[in-house]
Amino acid sequence: MKCEECEVLIEEYADGVLDQKSLGPVREHLASCTSCSAFHQEWSREQEIYSRYQRDVEVTPLLWSSIDARIKQERVEARDGMLARLRIQLAGLFAGPRFSPAFAAALVVIAIAITVVVMTLLNSKNQRELLARSNGNIPTPAAAADEGNPIKPSTPDAGPKQPEMGSTVASSGGGETASKKSPAAKLVAARPTPDQLVREAEQKYLAAISMLSRDVNRHRSQLDPIMLARFDAALGDIDRTIKDTRRVVNDNPGDPIALQYLLAAYSKKVDVLREMTAGSEN
Amino acid sequence: MMEAISLVGQSSGRVGTLMNSSEELIARARRGEDEAFRLIFDRYGRPVISFIYDMVGQRDLAEELTQETFVRAYKNLNNMRDETKLSTWLFGIAKNVARESLRYKHRETDKIGIDDDRVIELSDGKLPPDRQLLDKELSGVIKDALGALDEDKRVVFTLKVFQQRSYEEIAEITGSSIPKLKTDLHRARAEMRRRIKPYLGVGYEV
Repeated sequence: MKCEECEVLIEEYADGVLDQKSLGPVREHLASCTSCSAFHQEWSREQEIYSRYQRDVEVTPLLWSSIDARIKQERVEARDGMLARLRIQLAGLFAGPRFSPAFAAALVVIAIAITVVVMTLLNSKNQRELLARSNGNIPTPAAAADEGNPIKPSTPDAGPKQPEMGSTVASSGGGETASKKSPAAKLVAARPTPDQLVREAEQKYLAAISMLSRDVNRHRSQLDPIMLARFDAALGDIDRTIKDTRRVVNDNPGDPIALQYLLAAYSKKVDVLREMTAGSEN
Repeated sequence: MMEAISLVGQSSGRVGTLMNSSEELIARARRGEDEAFRLIFDRYGRPVISFIYDMVGQRDLAEELTQETFVRAYKNLNNMRDETKLSTWLFGIAKNVARESLRYKHRETDKIGIDDDRVIELSDGKLPPDRQLLDKELSGVIKDALGALDEDKRVVFTLKVFQQRSYEEIAEITGSSIPKLKTDLHRARAEMRRRIKPYLGVGYEV
């Protein structure tokens, strides 16, 4: 081993981290080379000198007292900060413009669902009564309006005619076919039914909800976790209401109240999703 | 090893309390036990303040930065990944704190001064007066030599020579690769050797 090589390795040798492969050659070189051996001794004296280094610093009780005081202060500040954050969140929950619509929507929609069920039950009862009155030859409001031109039965043994939407109003000529209806009757017949209107509106709501949902999903991570949980809970309530209301509408397609509340539920869902989108942008 | 070093000079009563493992102390401190963090400070306060003092060279500043180091450690106890490496983690914080201070605080002189009288006061009293005087002078020379090293070399030299940290530990503390820190250490030793060479003569042999 050359002296230059030994000089490089001698530090690791003295530090005790020299690998086994180099250990033997370094030892042999130190035993045979006076120059490198002297360098090693000088290195050892250096370490001794460093061990005598005295610093102008000590750990004092005052030092710990200062640290302890600061830690306690940090705790107070951390607690105050947490309380302040909690206060802001609570304030937002009950009074803030960003939280209240979502929760109000959820509450309103739940109320709507209950109302729809009640109204449906009432409608069913009304329809049963109407049927009973018709069977008892009690004049219907439509028949009463036609008192000047009483409808004659087409055959003597024909029973009382059931009023039908559109056809009853347009059948001033008694035995006229549909192709011979008056222009006013044609206009009425061309108008979309409430059910068609509702379905159209529903499609628009569903498209808007789909777009907003994609946007919300992209930015979910930017929302405050607590706020996100609240929004998700509100959306869950609204979705359940939509499902229940939809079922009622399917069972009673002509029920205007059920249809109205179905659309209201969709509207509330759009509102909540918009709130979430606005929250992620802030 | 750090535990053994920090136990020097501790009373026997305190030694008993220091037998707690680092993991146990950290767990207790995380649960909010003040005494546990106090024991961590008792164990590591001395090496940490020495290291910071070697980095900044001023007693008041070293005390202030040691405070900052332990306060940061307390605030970040939950972020520690490996509880078995408490001392390495503390030295890492201390290194950052010291470096921030060196970068942002204006220093009056590039070289580190020395308050002569206090060194004598800190001597153990068992050495003869001439030896005390010698060590005082030598300490001043070492301190000046340390202050003349650049920051990277000073960190590595201090951790290796004064704190007896392994290469792996120094690599973790500094974030440097082992080859780089070996190079820095070699150069730092050479610079220090050149500065203290006059004191390696016969009169300074032990």
